[in-house]
Amino acid sequence: MMTADLQRSWVEQLISDANAGLPGQDLAWLDSARADARQAVAELPLPNRKQESWRYSAVESLLKNSFRPAPDDVSELQALDLQNWLLPAYEAYRLVFANGHFVPQLSSGALLPAGVTLGNLRTALAGDSEWLARWFGQTANHTEHLFTALNTALANDGALIHIAAGVEVDRPIEVVYLSLGQETAALVQPRNLVVLEAGAKATLVERFIGSGEAGYFNNNLTEIALRDGASLAHYRVQDESRNAWHLSSLYLAQDRDSRYLGTTLAFGAGWARTDYNTRFSDQGAACELNGLYTAGDRQVTDFHVNVQHSVPGCASRERFKGILFGKGRAVFDGRILVDKQAQHTDAHLTNDNLMLTRDAEVDTKPQLEIYADDVKCSHGTTVGQLDPEQVFYLRSRGIAVDAARKMLCLGFAGEIIDTVELQPLREYAAGRLADTLNAAVVEE
Amino acid sequence: MLSIKNLQVAIEGKDILRGLNLDIGAGEVHAIMGPNGSGKSTLSHALAGRDGYQVTGGEVLFDGRDLLALEPEQRAHLGVFLGMQYPVELPGVNNMMFMRESLNAIRRARGEEELDAVAFMTRVRDKARLVDLDEKLLKRNVNAGFSGGEKKRNEILQMAMLEPKLAILDETDSGLDIDALRVIAGGVNALRSPERSIILITHYQRLLDYIEPDFVHVMVGGRIVRSGDKSLALELEEKGYGWIEEEAA
Repeated sequence: MMTADLQRSWVEQLISDANAGLPGQDLAWLDSARADARQAVAELPLPNRKQESWRYSAVESLLKNSFRPAPDDVSELQALDLQNWLLPAYEAYRLVFANGHFVPQLSSGALLPAGVTLGNLRTALAGDSEWLARWFGQTANHTEHLFTALNTALANDGALIHIAAGVEVDRPIEVVYLSLGQETAALVQPRNLVVLEAGAKATLVERFIGSGEAGYFNNNLTEIALRDGASLAHYRVQDESRNAWHLSSLYLAQDRDSRYLGTTLAFGAGWARTDYNTRFSDQGAACELNGLYTAGDRQVTDFHVNVQHSVPGCASRERFKGILFGKGRAVFDGRILVDKQAQHTDAHLTNDNLMLTRDAEVDTKPQLEIYADDVKCSHGTTVGQLDPEQVFYLRSRGIAVDAARKMLCLGFAGEIIDTVELQPLREYAAGRLADTLNAAVVEE
Repeated sequence: MLSIKNLQVAIEGKDILRGLNLDIGAGEVHAIMGPNGSGKSTLSHALAGRDGYQVTGGEVLFDGRDLLALEPEQRAHLGVFLGMQYPVELPGVNNMMFMRESLNAIRRARGEEELDAVAFMTRVRDKARLVDLDEKLLKRNVNAGFSGGEKKRNEILQMAMLEPKLAILDETDSGLDIDALRVIAGGVNALRSPERSIILITHYQRLLDYIEPDFVHVMVGGRIVRSGDKSLALELEEKGYGWIEEEAA
């Protein structure tokens, strides 16, 4: 097991090296979380295909690298003109991170409405971190998941969002992660925390943008707590560079009558994985998870959804769609667990895949585990090709074959893109998908 | 305008059209009738260029051009339109956006300027009235959840938008009640012009009460076995296809 040992030493090396520069070492609560996580990193086995959650996900390419924490000096990235990445006609409160480090001069500063706290972890740890202490590490499971443990052990910086009870935020909050592949393969680990107090309402946009030829690993983690009656719309666009590895771990804790609408649009990265974990603490909560993914040559994209219904009367709806072309690969692993006491659960999961080429591949595994007897649950999955009859219909109306295929793909994806209720972002996503499909046609 | 000579078409190796001849002049309306399996729909799909219809012999000239050598979209650019018997649903494809793409793709191919959103809207609203199509259906996805009659109206609406030189209407009357049939026929009649030829494919004479053809042809076994004027359709209505099939055999 020579290779595995080398890989382990890579992960452990990271832990032992990086500790020195971490912020907030004087805080007991953080110190203890980091210590637990460090121990987990040492004890947890490396992901391998014998583990159910990594069975179809090729983790080897990730593990064989030697990532080093991204240096604090991000001047190169700060020089990137943010204007290039901004969406038109889109006013937002904004936090920008460059290679995982907060960039105050690109972020919205003052003039936040009362009750809205936007900030970054590193700064908050140096000041009043009381609410942070209450929530940090509470929903994320850093003793079971290696990359969650790694993120926690090295927690350095990230977005902090707190909305006070009853406050409806008047603009979307946008968090932009710019990553630049540098000579040394960089490890970028945003550590985010989003708390909406009772009755608060907000829209959160996360955009992952990559640049440069060299590979980097964005191992981001977001904990989200929605208190009673809080409502969050959360749109995520993953546009990492094609040489990047990207792992998003999302941990949601939903209290009574809270609403979460999450849509992830995954276009970029060479290797990408998004893990959604949802827990409900009380009845009346609803969670809607949507995802769209595309993968072509030298791309692997992966979604894992784990929704646990352990209390009665909550609803979850998961809709994921993929378009695969070239030699693109995708994995979908969706699990809904309905405990014995979770009566009146309403849970539905679908995964549909459109294969544009013979060489594309998808492994899809919807799982519904139900131990309660009075529930409404369903799951379904499809893998198919474009319907020749539909293509012919469009061509018979004068639309060229490539354009016809593209139009049908956009139609297929429309159901997911339309869940984005911010028009500029929706238009951006549709345009991004159209560009991807144009490239796909060239690749064929 | 359209000249079909000895056309032979096979599907999955099975001969369906076995030497079909037909000449259509500008502005003429030709009805093609015949029993099930006689090859009527095969003819319409072969003319529109659908994959899987292998032309094994013969030729089709459209304004002197070899139609069979062209891709389906190129045929549409030249002005061939096929009104489908079973229009497919296109999930997620907005009807209005689709028609605009279609119209502008054809205009671009002809070197004409694209219609802008306003001009397009004016035109589509105007034409929708012609076939009494609820404007709400324009905002829906193409044919998604449309009734049988609405799908056929949507086909004739597209014909009205695209103003083809040759419209092939494949069993446009099937599945329509009498009111819907009148509306559709009214739309088609409004589109008759000296530059526009129409092929009406139908099982029943009923449609021809509303759209009066210049010629009626009967297909049996992949060929046209009899041609005449509209009185032939009445004769078929009265006597059925049996006698013609016997004659052709």
